[in-house]
Amino acid sequence: MSASLAVPSNVLPSVRFRRRMALLVVCCASVAAFLIYLKVDPIEFFRDFHFVSDLIKQMMPPDLRLLWVKHGLWTSLLQTVAMAFFGTLIGSIIAVILALFAAGNTSPSWALRLGVRTLLAVERSTPNIVVLLVLLIAVGIGPFAATLSLCIGTVGMFGKLFADAIEQVDPLPGEALIAAGASRLQVIRYATLPQVAPSVVANVFYAFDVNLRLAVALGIFGGGGIGFELHLAQSVLRYKDMLACVILILVLINVMERIADALRRRLFLQEV
Amino acid sequence: MLEVKGLSKRLPTGKTILNDISFRVDKGEFVALLGASGAGKSMTMRAIAGLTSVTAGEVVFSGESGKCYTTITASGKTSGKDLRRARRNIGVIFQGSNLVKRLPVLDNVMIGRLGRIHPLRSWLYGFTDQEASEAMAALERVGMAGFASRRTGSLSGGEVQRVAIARAIFQRPLLYLADEPVSSLDPKNAEAIMQLMQPLAREHPILGAFHQPGMVMHYCTRVIALHKGSIIYNGAPNLSAKQLDEIYCGQADRPEATQELTAAAES
Ligand SMILES: Nc1ncnc2c1ncn2[C@@H]1O[C@H](COP(=O)(O)OP(=O)(O)O)[C@@H](O)[C@H]1O
Ligand SMILES: [Mg+2]
Repeated sequence: MSASLAVPSNVLPSVRFRRRMALLVVCCASVAAFLIYLKVDPIEFFRDFHFVSDLIKQMMPPDLRLLWVKHGLWTSLLQTVAMAFFGTLIGSIIAVILALFAAGNTSPSWALRLGVRTLLAVERSTPNIVVLLVLLIAVGIGPFAATLSLCIGTVGMFGKLFADAIEQVDPLPGEALIAAGASRLQVIRYATLPQVAPSVVANVFYAFDVNLRLAVALGIFGGGGIGFELHLAQSVLRYKDMLACVILILVLINVMERIADALRRRLFLQEV
Repeated sequence: MLEVKGLSKRLPTGKTILNDISFRVDKGEFVALLGASGAGKSMTMRAIAGLTSVTAGEVVFSGESGKCYTTITASGKTSGKDLRRARRNIGVIFQGSNLVKRLPVLDNVMIGRLGRIHPLRSWLYGFTDQEASEAMAALERVGMAGFASRRTGSLSGGEVQRVAIARAIFQRPLLYLADEPVSSLDPKNAEAIMQLMQPLAREHPILGAFHQPGMVMHYCTRVIALHKGSIIYNGAPNLSAKQLDEIYCGQADRPEATQELTAAAES
Protein backbone atom coordinates (compact mmCIF):
# COMPACT_ATOMS: atom_id res chain seq x y z
CA MET A 1 0.00 0.00 0.00
CA SER A 2 2.84 2.43 -0.77
CA ALA A 3 0.96 4.24 -3.52
CA SER A 4 -1.40 5.98 -1.14
CA LEU A 5 -4.82 7.10 -2.28
CA ALA A 6 -5.05 10.81 -3.14
CA VAL A 7 -6.90 12.76 -0.45
CA PRO A 8 -9.55 15.00 -2.04
CA SER A 9 -8.09 18.50 -2.05
CA ASN A 10 -11.01 20.08 -0.20
CA VAL A 11 -10.36 17.95 2.89
CA LEU A 12 -6.54 17.92 2.69
CA PRO A 13 -5.28 19.26 6.06
CA SER A 14 -2.63 21.60 4.61
CA VAL A 15 -5.10 23.09 2.15
CA ARG A 16 -7.63 23.58 4.94
CA PHE A 17 -5.00 25.26 7.12
CA ARG A 18 -4.11 27.71 4.36
CA ARG A 19 -7.78 28.45 3.82
CA ARG A 20 -8.26 29.19 7.54
CA MET A 21 -5.28 31.52 7.54
CA ALA A 22 -6.57 33.41 4.49
CA LEU A 23 -9.92 33.85 6.25
CA LEU A 24 -8.18 35.20 9.35
CA VAL A 25 -6.21 37.76 7.29
CA VAL A 26 -9.39 38.91 5.54
CA CYS A 27 -11.15 39.32 8.91
CA CYS A 28 -8.31 41.33 10.44
CA ALA A 29 -8.04 43.53 7.36
CA SER A 30 -11.76 44.33 7.38
CA VAL A 31 -11.71 45.17 11.09
CA ALA A 32 -8.75 47.52 10.48
CA ALA A 33 -10.54 49.08 7.51
CA PHE A 34 -13.63 49.73 9.62
CA LEU A 35 -11.61 51.30 12.44
CA ILE A 36 -9.96 53.67 9.99
CA TYR A 37 -13.26 54.47 8.31
CA LEU A 38 -14.94 55.22 11.66
CA LYS A 39 -11.87 57.28 12.69
CA VAL A 40 -11.35 55.25 15.84
CA ASP A 41 -7.98 56.23 17.25
CA PRO A 42 -6.66 53.66 19.74
CA ILE A 43 -4.19 56.18 21.16
CA GLU A 44 -6.96 58.65 21.89
CA PHE A 45 -8.83 55.85 23.62
CA PHE A 46 -6.00 55.38 26.10
CA ARG A 47 -5.42 59.13 26.47
CA ASP A 48 -9.06 59.72 27.39
CA PHE A 49 -9.21 56.78 29.73
CA HIS A 50 -8.60 59.03 32.73
CA PHE A 51 -12.17 60.35 32.33
CA VAL A 52 -13.41 56.89 33.15
CA SER A 53 -11.06 56.42 36.07
CA ASP A 54 -12.00 59.87 37.42
CA LEU A 55 -15.67 58.91 37.31
CA ILE A 56 -15.00 55.66 39.11
CA LYS A 57 -13.10 57.59 41.80
CA GLN A 58 -16.09 59.91 42.22
CA MET A 59 -18.40 56.92 42.57
CA MET A 60 -16.37 55.44 45.39
CA PRO A 61 -17.47 54.56 47.97
CA PRO A 62 -21.06 53.70 47.00
CA ASP A 63 -23.60 55.40 49.23
CA LEU A 64 -25.22 52.25 50.59
CA ARG A 65 -26.96 54.21 53.35
CA LEU A 66 -29.52 54.91 50.64
CA LEU A 67 -30.87 51.38 51.07
CA TRP A 68 -32.41 52.13 54.44
CA VAL A 69 -32.69 55.91 54.20
CA LYS A 70 -34.50 55.99 50.90
CA HIS A 71 -37.42 53.55 51.02
CA GLY A 72 -38.53 54.53 47.53
CA LEU A 73 -35.55 52.60 46.20
CA TRP A 74 -37.04 49.29 47.29
CA THR A 75 -40.37 50.18 45.75
CA SER A 76 -38.58 51.00 42.51
CA LEU A 77 -36.77 47.68 42.63
CA LEU A 78 -40.05 45.84 43.13
CA GLN A 79 -41.52 47.86 40.27
CA THR A 80 -38.77 46.68 37.93
CA VAL A 81 -39.35 43.04 38.89
CA ALA A 82 -43.10 43.48 38.42
CA MET A 83 -42.54 45.03 34.98
CA ALA A 84 -40.41 42.08 33.89
CA PHE A 85 -42.79 39.54 35.44
CA PHE A 86 -46.01 40.84 33.95
CA GLY A 87 -44.36 41.68 30.64
CA THR A 88 -43.15 38.09 30.40
CA LEU A 89 -46.36 36.47 31.63
CA ILE A 90 -48.81 38.40 29.48
CA GLY A 91 -46.43 38.46 26.52
CA SER A 92 -45.95 34.67 26.65
CA ILE A 93 -49.67 33.98 26.85
CA ILE A 94 -50.30 36.20 23.83
CA ALA A 95 -47.31 34.62 22.06
CA VAL A 96 -48.74 31.10 22.53
CA ILE A 97 -52.17 32.14 21.29
CA LEU A 98 -50.74 33.93 18.24
CA ALA A 99 -48.40 30.97 17.62
CA LEU A 100 -51.43 28.66 17.37
CA PHE A 101 -52.75 30.94 14.61
CA ALA A 102 -49.34 31.15 12.94
CA ALA A 103 -48.52 27.42 12.89
CA GLY A 104 -49.58 25.54 9.77
CA ASN A 105 -50.95 22.54 11.68
CA THR A 106 -53.18 24.48 14.09
CA SER A 107 -54.15 27.62 12.17
CA PRO A 108 -57.79 27.75 11.06
CA SER A 109 -56.95 29.45 7.77
CA TRP A 110 -53.88 30.22 5.70
CA ALA A 111 -54.82 33.89 5.35
CA LEU A 112 -54.94 34.30 9.12
CA ARG A 113 -51.67 32.43 9.35
CA LEU A 114 -49.98 34.79 6.90
CA GLY A 115 -51.38 37.83 8.70
CA VAL A 116 -50.18 36.71 12.13
CA ARG A 117 -46.77 35.73 10.77
CA THR A 118 -46.37 39.20 9.26
CA LEU A 119 -47.45 40.86 12.50
CA LEU A 120 -44.91 38.79 14.44
CA ALA A 121 -42.17 39.66 11.95
CA VAL A 122 -42.89 43.37 12.35
CA GLU A 123 -42.91 43.10 16.14
CA ARG A 124 -39.70 41.15 16.12
CA SER A 125 -37.87 43.72 14.05
CA THR A 126 -38.94 46.69 16.20
CA PRO A 127 -36.44 47.47 19.02
CA ASN A 128 -37.94 47.67 22.53
CA ILE A 129 -36.72 51.23 23.00
CA VAL A 130 -38.57 52.39 19.88
CA VAL A 131 -41.77 50.72 21.09
CA LEU A 132 -41.32 52.36 24.50
CA LEU A 133 -40.75 55.84 23.06
CA VAL A 134 -43.95 55.53 21.04
CA LEU A 135 -45.87 54.21 24.06
CA LEU A 136 -44.55 57.01 26.28
CA ILE A 137 -46.40 59.43 24.03
CA ALA A 138 -49.56 57.33 24.16
CA VAL A 139 -49.75 56.29 27.83
CA GLY A 140 -47.25 58.58 29.51
CA ILE A 141 -44.07 58.02 31.53
CA GLY A 142 -44.09 55.12 33.96
CA PRO A 143 -43.99 51.36 34.41
CA PHE A 144 -47.19 50.75 32.43
CA ALA A 145 -45.54 51.87 29.19
CA ALA A 146 -42.48 49.75 29.93
CA THR A 147 -44.54 46.66 30.77
CA LEU A 148 -46.51 47.05 27.56
CA SER A 149 -43.31 47.45 25.60
CA LEU A 150 -41.85 44.29 27.20
CA CYS A 151 -45.08 42.46 26.35
CA ILE A 152 -44.83 43.42 22.72
CA GLY A 153 -41.15 42.52 22.65
CA THR A 154 -41.85 39.10 24.20
CA VAL A 155 -44.58 38.35 21.67
CA GLY A 156 -42.22 39.27 18.84
CA MET A 157 -39.34 37.31 20.33
CA PHE A 158 -41.28 34.09 21.01
CA GLY A 159 -44.36 34.11 18.79
CA LYS A 160 -42.48 32.76 15.80
CA LEU A 161 -40.37 30.45 17.96
CA PHE A 162 -43.48 28.89 19.52
CA ALA A 163 -45.14 28.64 16.10
CA ASP A 164 -42.16 26.72 14.77
CA ALA A 165 -42.19 24.46 17.85
CA ILE A 166 -45.89 23.75 17.28
CA GLU A 167 -45.25 22.89 13.64
CA GLN A 168 -42.63 20.35 14.68
CA VAL A 169 -44.97 18.48 17.02
CA ASP A 170 -45.55 14.80 16.20
CA PRO A 171 -48.90 14.81 14.32
CA LEU A 172 -49.77 11.17 14.99
CA PRO A 173 -51.07 11.47 18.60
CA GLY A 174 -53.38 14.25 17.41
CA GLU A 175 -54.57 12.17 14.50
CA ALA A 176 -55.39 9.36 16.91
CA LEU A 177 -57.65 11.77 18.81
CA ILE A 178 -59.30 12.92 15.57
CA ALA A 179 -59.95 9.26 14.82
CA ALA A 180 -61.71 8.97 18.19
CA GLY A 181 -64.01 11.88 17.31
CA ALA A 182 -62.18 14.75 19.02
CA SER A 183 -62.43 18.29 17.64
CA ARG A 184 -59.48 20.36 16.47
CA LEU A 185 -59.57 22.47 19.63
CA GLN A 186 -59.53 19.34 21.77
CA VAL A 187 -56.55 18.06 19.81
CA ILE A 188 -54.73 21.33 20.53
CA ARG A 189 -55.54 21.05 24.23
CA TYR A 190 -54.68 17.38 24.72
CA ALA A 191 -52.06 16.53 22.07
CA THR A 192 -50.40 19.69 20.74
CA LEU A 193 -49.97 21.82 23.88
CA PRO A 194 -48.66 18.99 26.10
CA GLN A 195 -46.00 18.31 23.48
CA VAL A 196 -44.80 21.93 23.20
CA ALA A 197 -45.12 22.69 26.93
CA PRO A 198 -41.48 21.96 27.87
CA SER A 199 -40.05 24.16 25.16
CA VAL A 200 -42.53 26.93 25.98
CA VAL A 201 -41.71 26.80 29.70
CA ALA A 202 -37.95 26.84 29.07
CA ASN A 203 -38.33 29.84 26.76
CA VAL A 204 -40.58 31.70 29.21
CA PHE A 205 -37.82 31.44 31.81
CA TYR A 206 -35.35 32.75 29.27
CA ALA A 207 -37.73 35.58 28.36
CA PHE A 208 -37.96 36.63 32.02
CA ASP A 209 -34.19 36.72 32.20
CA VAL A 210 -33.95 38.96 29.15
CA ASN A 211 -36.92 41.11 30.21
CA LEU A 212 -35.50 41.81 33.68
CA ARG A 213 -32.40 43.38 32.12
CA LEU A 214 -34.53 45.20 29.58
CA ALA A 215 -36.81 46.49 32.36
CA VAL A 216 -33.81 48.20 33.96
CA ALA A 217 -32.76 49.71 30.64
CA LEU A 218 -36.28 50.83 29.70
CA GLY A 219 -36.57 52.47 33.13
CA ILE A 220 -33.73 54.79 32.19
CA PHE A 221 -35.76 56.00 29.21
CA GLY A 222 -38.80 56.84 31.29
CA GLY A 223 -40.20 53.42 32.09
CA GLY A 224 -39.94 53.84 35.88
CA GLY A 225 -38.46 51.40 38.37
CA ILE A 226 -34.86 51.13 39.47
CA GLY A 227 -33.62 52.20 36.03
CA PHE A 228 -35.32 55.55 36.48
CA GLU A 229 -33.69 55.99 39.94
CA LEU A 230 -30.37 55.36 38.25
CA HIS A 231 -31.16 57.96 35.65
CA LEU A 232 -32.20 60.51 38.31
CA ALA A 233 -29.03 60.00 40.33
CA GLN A 234 -26.97 60.44 37.18
CA SER A 235 -28.72 63.62 36.10
CA VAL A 236 -28.07 65.32 39.45
CA LEU A 237 -24.46 64.08 39.42
CA ARG A 238 -24.83 61.96 42.58
CA TYR A 239 -22.40 59.31 41.45
CA LYS A 240 -22.20 57.59 44.84
CA ASP A 241 -25.98 57.06 44.73
CA MET A 242 -25.59 55.76 41.19
CA LEU A 243 -23.14 53.07 42.21
CA ALA A 244 -25.46 52.02 45.03
CA CYS A 245 -28.22 51.56 42.41
CA VAL A 246 -25.90 49.59 40.15
CA ILE A 247 -24.97 47.27 43.01
CA LEU A 248 -28.64 46.81 43.86
CA ILE A 249 -29.38 45.92 40.22
CA LEU A 250 -26.57 43.37 40.09
CA VAL A 251 -27.79 41.73 43.30
CA LEU A 252 -31.36 41.74 42.01
CA ILE A 253 -30.48 40.08 38.70
CA ASN A 254 -28.43 37.43 40.45
CA VAL A 255 -31.10 36.66 43.04
CA MET A 256 -33.84 36.42 40.39
CA GLU A 257 -31.63 34.12 38.33
CA ARG A 258 -31.19 31.82 41.33
CA ILE A 259 -34.91 31.74 42.01
CA ALA A 260 -35.68 31.02 38.35
CA ASP A 261 -33.10 28.23 38.29
CA ALA A 262 -34.53 26.62 41.41
CA LEU A 263 -38.07 26.83 40.01
CA ARG A 264 -37.00 25.41 36.68
CA ARG A 265 -35.21 22.53 38.31
CA ARG A 266 -38.30 21.66 40.34
CA LEU A 267 -40.56 21.85 37.30
CA PHE A 268 -38.41 19.60 35.19
CA LEU A 269 -37.76 17.09 37.94
CA GLN A 270 -41.44 16.63 38.65
CA GLU A 271 -42.39 15.35 35.27
CA VAL A 272 -40.22 12.22 35.25
CA MET B 1 -71.58 -4.88 12.06
CA LEU B 2 -69.37 -3.09 9.55
CA GLU B 3 -70.09 -2.92 5.85
CA VAL B 4 -67.55 -1.61 3.35
CA LYS B 5 -68.86 -1.21 -0.20
CA GLY B 6 -66.79 -0.56 -3.32
CA LEU B 7 -64.04 1.41 -1.64
CA SER B 8 -61.63 2.82 -4.25
CA LYS B 9 -58.84 5.30 -3.95
CA ARG B 10 -56.87 6.58 -6.88
CA LEU B 11 -54.22 9.28 -6.69
CA PRO B 12 -54.24 12.20 -9.14
CA THR B 13 -51.11 10.59 -10.59
CA GLY B 14 -53.27 7.64 -11.69
CA LYS B 15 -51.88 5.22 -9.12
CA THR B 16 -54.51 2.92 -7.62
CA ILE B 17 -54.16 2.51 -3.88
CA LEU B 18 -57.51 0.83 -3.15
CA ASN B 19 -59.41 -1.00 -5.86
CA ASP B 20 -63.11 -1.72 -5.27
CA ILE B 21 -62.79 -3.10 -1.73
CA SER B 22 -66.00 -4.65 -0.38
CA PHE B 23 -66.44 -6.76 2.73
CA ARG B 24 -68.46 -7.17 5.89
CA VAL B 25 -67.44 -7.66 9.50
CA ASP B 26 -70.15 -9.11 11.73
CA LYS B 27 -70.76 -9.27 15.46
CA GLY B 28 -68.24 -11.39 17.32
CA GLU B 29 -65.70 -11.45 14.52
CA PHE B 30 -61.97 -10.83 14.80
CA VAL B 31 -60.95 -10.19 11.19
CA ALA B 32 -57.31 -9.99 10.10
CA LEU B 33 -56.13 -7.99 7.12
CA LEU B 34 -53.07 -9.64 5.62
CA GLY B 35 -50.84 -8.47 2.81
CA ALA B 36 -47.35 -7.28 2.00
CA SER B 37 -46.29 -3.80 3.06
CA GLY B 38 -47.87 -1.25 0.75
CA ALA B 39 -50.79 -3.57 -0.07
CA GLY B 40 -53.23 -0.98 1.33
CA LYS B 41 -54.08 -2.32 4.80
CA SER B 42 -53.47 0.98 6.58
CA MET B 43 -55.23 2.89 3.84
CA THR B 44 -58.30 0.66 4.13
CA MET B 45 -58.51 1.31 7.85
CA ARG B 46 -57.86 5.02 7.49
CA ALA B 47 -60.67 5.16 4.95
CA ILE B 48 -63.02 3.33 7.31
CA ALA B 49 -62.21 5.86 10.05
CA GLY B 50 -62.83 8.70 7.59
CA LEU B 51 -59.24 9.85 7.88
CA THR B 52 -58.53 9.86 4.15
CA SER B 53 -60.54 10.84 1.11
CA VAL B 54 -61.56 8.13 -1.34
CA THR B 55 -62.55 8.14 -5.00
CA ALA B 56 -65.64 5.99 -4.45
CA GLY B 57 -67.26 3.77 -1.88
CA GLU B 58 -69.39 3.65 1.21
CA VAL B 59 -68.72 2.70 4.82
CA VAL B 60 -71.57 1.95 7.24
CA PHE B 61 -71.48 0.40 10.69
CA SER B 62 -73.92 -0.17 13.51
CA GLY B 63 -74.13 -1.69 16.98
CA GLU B 64 -76.69 -3.60 19.04
CA SER B 65 -79.15 -0.71 18.95
CA GLY B 66 -79.23 -0.86 15.16
CA LYS B 67 -78.41 2.82 14.82
CA CYS B 68 -76.23 3.28 11.73
CA TYR B 69 -73.15 5.45 11.40
CA THR B 70 -71.35 6.33 8.19
CA THR B 71 -67.87 7.69 7.72
CA ILE B 72 -68.03 7.60 3.93
CA THR B 73 -71.38 8.13 2.25
CA ALA B 74 -72.20 7.05 -1.28
CA SER B 75 -72.71 10.69 -2.25
CA GLY B 76 -69.18 11.42 -1.08
CA LYS B 77 -70.31 14.05 1.39
CA THR B 78 -70.09 13.60 5.13
CA SER B 79 -70.63 16.58 7.38
CA GLY B 80 -68.00 17.23 10.02
CA LYS B 81 -70.57 16.63 12.72
CA ASP B 82 -71.73 13.26 11.35
CA LEU B 83 -68.14 12.20 10.87
CA ARG B 84 -67.27 13.03 14.48
CA ARG B 85 -70.40 11.22 15.68
CA ALA B 86 -69.32 8.13 13.74
CA ARG B 87 -65.69 8.34 14.80
CA ARG B 88 -66.44 8.36 18.49
CA ASN B 89 -67.88 4.89 17.95
CA ILE B 90 -64.71 3.53 16.35
CA GLY B 91 -61.84 2.57 18.65
CA VAL B 92 -58.63 2.91 16.69
CA ILE B 93 -55.47 1.21 17.90
CA PHE B 94 -52.75 2.59 15.65
CA GLN B 95 -49.43 1.23 14.50
CA GLY B 96 -47.02 2.41 17.23
CA SER B 97 -50.07 3.57 19.20
CA ASN B 98 -49.67 7.34 18.89
CA LEU B 99 -50.12 8.15 22.54
CA VAL B 100 -49.18 11.59 23.85
CA LYS B 101 -45.83 10.74 25.43
CA ARG B 102 -45.79 13.68 27.83
CA LEU B 103 -49.13 12.92 29.46
CA PRO B 104 -49.63 10.46 32.31
CA VAL B 105 -50.93 7.02 31.34
CA LEU B 106 -54.37 7.69 32.86
CA ASP B 107 -54.81 10.89 30.79
CA ASN B 108 -53.88 9.02 27.65
CA VAL B 109 -56.70 6.57 28.37
CA MET B 110 -59.22 9.30 29.22
CA ILE B 111 -58.61 11.37 26.07
CA GLY B 112 -60.05 8.47 24.11
CA ARG B 113 -63.45 9.83 25.11
CA LEU B 114 -62.88 13.46 24.08
CA GLY B 115 -65.37 12.98 21.25
CA ARG B 116 -68.13 12.41 23.80
CA ILE B 117 -67.50 15.25 26.21
CA HIS B 118 -68.43 18.88 25.76
CA PRO B 119 -65.59 20.93 24.23
CA LEU B 120 -65.97 23.64 26.87
CA ARG B 121 -65.63 21.13 29.69
CA SER B 122 -62.60 19.52 28.03
CA TRP B 123 -60.88 22.93 28.03
CA LEU B 124 -61.97 24.39 31.32
CA TYR B 125 -62.36 21.46 33.67
CA GLY B 126 -61.03 18.28 32.10
CA PHE B 127 -62.29 14.84 33.03
CA THR B 128 -64.44 13.85 35.98
CA ASP B 129 -63.44 11.57 38.86
CA GLN B 130 -66.06 9.12 37.61
CA GLU B 131 -64.34 9.00 34.21
CA ALA B 132 -60.99 8.55 35.91
CA SER B 133 -62.20 5.51 37.80
CA GLU B 134 -63.69 4.05 34.60
CA ALA B 135 -60.32 4.62 32.92
CA MET B 136 -58.68 2.78 35.83
CA ALA B 137 -61.00 -0.13 35.17
CA ALA B 138 -59.96 -0.16 31.52
CA LEU B 139 -56.29 -0.12 32.56
CA GLU B 140 -57.00 -2.94 35.01
CA ARG B 141 -58.43 -4.99 32.18
CA VAL B 142 -55.15 -4.76 30.21
CA GLY B 143 -53.03 -5.29 33.33
CA MET B 144 -51.72 -1.72 33.49
CA ALA B 145 -53.53 -0.33 36.55
CA GLY B 146 -50.22 0.03 38.39
CA PHE B 147 -48.95 2.42 35.72
CA ALA B 148 -51.76 5.00 35.88
CA SER B 149 -49.63 7.92 37.04
CA ARG B 150 -46.50 7.07 35.03
CA ARG B 151 -45.46 9.35 32.19
CA THR B 152 -46.38 7.54 28.98
CA GLY B 153 -43.03 8.29 27.32
CA SER B 154 -41.29 6.06 29.85
CA LEU B 155 -43.22 2.87 28.96
CA SER B 156 -41.95 -0.08 26.93
CA GLY B 157 -43.46 -1.02 23.57
CA GLY B 158 -45.70 -3.75 24.99
CA GLU B 159 -46.93 -1.47 27.78
CA VAL B 160 -47.68 1.34 25.31
CA GLN B 161 -49.75 -1.04 23.20
CA ARG B 162 -51.74 -2.13 26.26
CA VAL B 163 -52.46 1.49 27.16
CA ALA B 164 -53.63 2.07 23.59
CA ILE B 165 -56.02 -0.86 23.95
CA ALA B 166 -57.23 0.48 27.31
CA ARG B 167 -57.94 3.82 25.61
CA ALA B 168 -59.97 2.09 22.90
CA ILE B 169 -61.91 0.09 25.53
CA PHE B 170 -62.59 3.24 27.57
CA GLN B 171 -63.89 4.94 24.44
CA ARG B 172 -66.77 2.37 24.39
CA PRO B 173 -66.84 2.00 20.59
CA LEU B 174 -69.00 -0.28 18.44
CA LEU B 175 -66.03 -1.39 16.37
CA TYR B 176 -62.27 -1.65 16.80
CA LEU B 177 -59.66 -0.94 14.12
CA ALA B 178 -56.14 -2.10 14.95
CA ASP B 179 -53.30 -1.27 12.56
CA GLU B 180 -50.41 -3.67 13.22
CA PRO B 181 -50.89 -3.62 17.00
CA VAL B 182 -48.27 -6.32 17.55
CA SER B 183 -45.74 -5.63 14.79
CA SER B 184 -43.23 -3.82 16.98
CA LEU B 185 -43.41 -6.34 19.83
CA ASP B 186 -41.43 -9.41 20.84
CA PRO B 187 -43.27 -12.75 20.36
CA LYS B 188 -44.27 -13.11 24.01
CA ASN B 189 -45.74 -9.60 24.24
CA ALA B 190 -47.39 -10.02 20.84
CA GLU B 191 -49.07 -13.20 22.08
CA ALA B 192 -50.24 -11.38 25.22
CA ILE B 193 -51.76 -8.55 23.18
CA MET B 194 -53.59 -11.04 20.95
CA GLN B 195 -54.95 -12.72 24.09
CA LEU B 196 -56.26 -9.35 25.26
CA MET B 197 -57.93 -8.62 21.93
CA GLN B 198 -59.63 -11.97 21.46
CA PRO B 199 -62.27 -11.53 24.20
CA LEU B 200 -62.66 -7.88 23.18
CA ALA B 201 -63.69 -8.97 19.71
CA ARG B 202 -66.56 -11.01 21.15
CA GLU B 203 -68.03 -7.79 22.54
CA HIS B 204 -67.40 -5.59 19.52
CA PRO B 205 -65.85 -6.77 16.25
CA ILE B 206 -62.18 -6.06 15.53
CA LEU B 207 -60.64 -5.43 12.12
CA GLY B 208 -56.87 -5.57 12.40
CA ALA B 209 -53.80 -5.60 10.17
CA PHE B 210 -51.18 -8.22 10.97
CA HIS B 211 -47.94 -9.65 9.64
CA GLN B 212 -48.01 -12.83 11.76
CA PRO B 213 -50.00 -15.54 9.93
CA GLY B 214 -49.35 -18.04 12.73
CA MET B 215 -50.96 -15.88 15.39
CA VAL B 216 -53.74 -14.82 13.02
CA MET B 217 -54.67 -18.48 12.43
CA HIS B 218 -54.83 -19.04 16.16
CA TYR B 219 -56.74 -15.97 17.31
CA CYS B 220 -58.68 -14.54 14.35
CA THR B 221 -61.98 -15.75 12.98
CA ARG B 222 -61.40 -14.69 9.39
CA VAL B 223 -58.71 -13.41 7.02
CA ILE B 224 -59.01 -10.79 4.30
CA ALA B 225 -55.89 -10.63 2.13
CA LEU B 226 -54.98 -7.56 0.12
CA HIS B 227 -52.62 -7.29 -2.80
CA LYS B 228 -51.89 -3.97 -4.47
CA GLY B 229 -55.13 -2.51 -3.23
CA SER B 230 -57.42 -5.42 -4.18
CA ILE B 231 -58.93 -8.16 -2.04
CA ILE B 232 -57.49 -11.49 -3.17
CA TYR B 233 -58.79 -13.66 -0.35
CA ASN B 234 -61.65 -13.45 2.09
CA GLY B 235 -62.23 -16.56 4.17
CA ALA B 236 -61.13 -18.93 6.87
CA PRO B 237 -57.98 -17.98 8.80
CA ASN B 238 -56.23 -21.33 8.46
CA LEU B 239 -54.21 -20.70 5.32
CA SER B 240 -51.88 -23.25 3.77
CA ALA B 241 -48.24 -22.49 3.07
CA LYS B 242 -49.07 -22.27 -0.61
CA GLN B 243 -51.83 -19.75 0.01
CA LEU B 244 -49.52 -17.61 2.14
CA ASP B 245 -47.00 -17.77 -0.67
CA GLU B 246 -49.63 -16.48 -3.07
CA ILE B 247 -50.51 -13.62 -0.72
CA TYR B 248 -46.98 -12.48 0.02
CA CYS B 249 -44.91 -13.39 -3.03
CA GLY B 250 -46.49 -11.33 -5.74
CA GLN B 251 -47.83 -14.34 -7.65
CA ALA B 252 -51.28 -12.96 -7.02
CA ASP B 253 -50.90 -10.69 -10.03
CA ARG B 254 -52.00 -13.62 -12.16
CA PRO B 255 -55.80 -13.66 -12.42
CA GLU B 256 -55.89 -17.45 -12.01
CA ALA B 257 -54.07 -17.14 -8.67
CA THR B 258 -56.82 -14.93 -7.29
CA GLN B 259 -59.38 -17.41 -8.60
CA GLU B 260 -57.56 -20.28 -6.89
CA LEU B 261 -57.49 -18.38 -3.63
CA THR B 262 -61.13 -17.40 -3.88
CA ALA B 263 -62.09 -20.96 -4.68
CA ALA B 264 -60.15 -22.13 -1.64
CA ALA B 265 -61.95 -19.56 0.48
CA GLU B 266 -65.34 -20.75 -0.68
CA SER B 267 -64.67 -24.45 -0.15
N1 LIG C 1 -50.03 10.00 1.45
C1 LIG C 1 -49.80 9.15 0.46
N2 LIG C 1 -49.59 9.59 -0.80
C2 LIG C 1 -49.35 8.75 -1.79
N3 LIG C 1 -49.33 7.43 -1.66
C3 LIG C 1 -49.52 6.91 -0.45
C4 LIG C 1 -49.77 7.74 0.69
N4 LIG C 1 -49.93 6.96 1.76
C5 LIG C 1 -49.78 5.70 1.34
N5 LIG C 1 -49.55 5.66 0.01
C6 LIG C 1 -49.38 4.46 -0.80
O1 LIG C 1 -50.52 3.66 -0.63
C7 LIG C 1 -50.17 2.30 -0.69
C8 LIG C 1 -50.77 1.56 0.48
O2 LIG C 1 -50.14 1.95 1.66
P1 LIG C 1 -50.53 1.37 3.08
O3 LIG C 1 -52.00 1.34 3.19
O4 LIG C 1 -49.80 2.16 4.10
O5 LIG C 1 -49.95 -0.10 3.03
P2 LIG C 1 -49.87 -1.20 4.19
O6 LIG C 1 -50.45 -0.62 5.42
O7 LIG C 1 -50.61 -2.36 3.67
O8 LIG C 1 -48.43 -1.51 4.36
C9 LIG C 1 -48.66 2.24 -0.75
O9 LIG C 1 -48.29 1.96 -2.07
C10 LIG C 1 -48.22 3.62 -0.36
O10 LIG C 1 -47.04 3.97 -1.03
MG1 LIG D 1 -49.53 -0.12 7.22
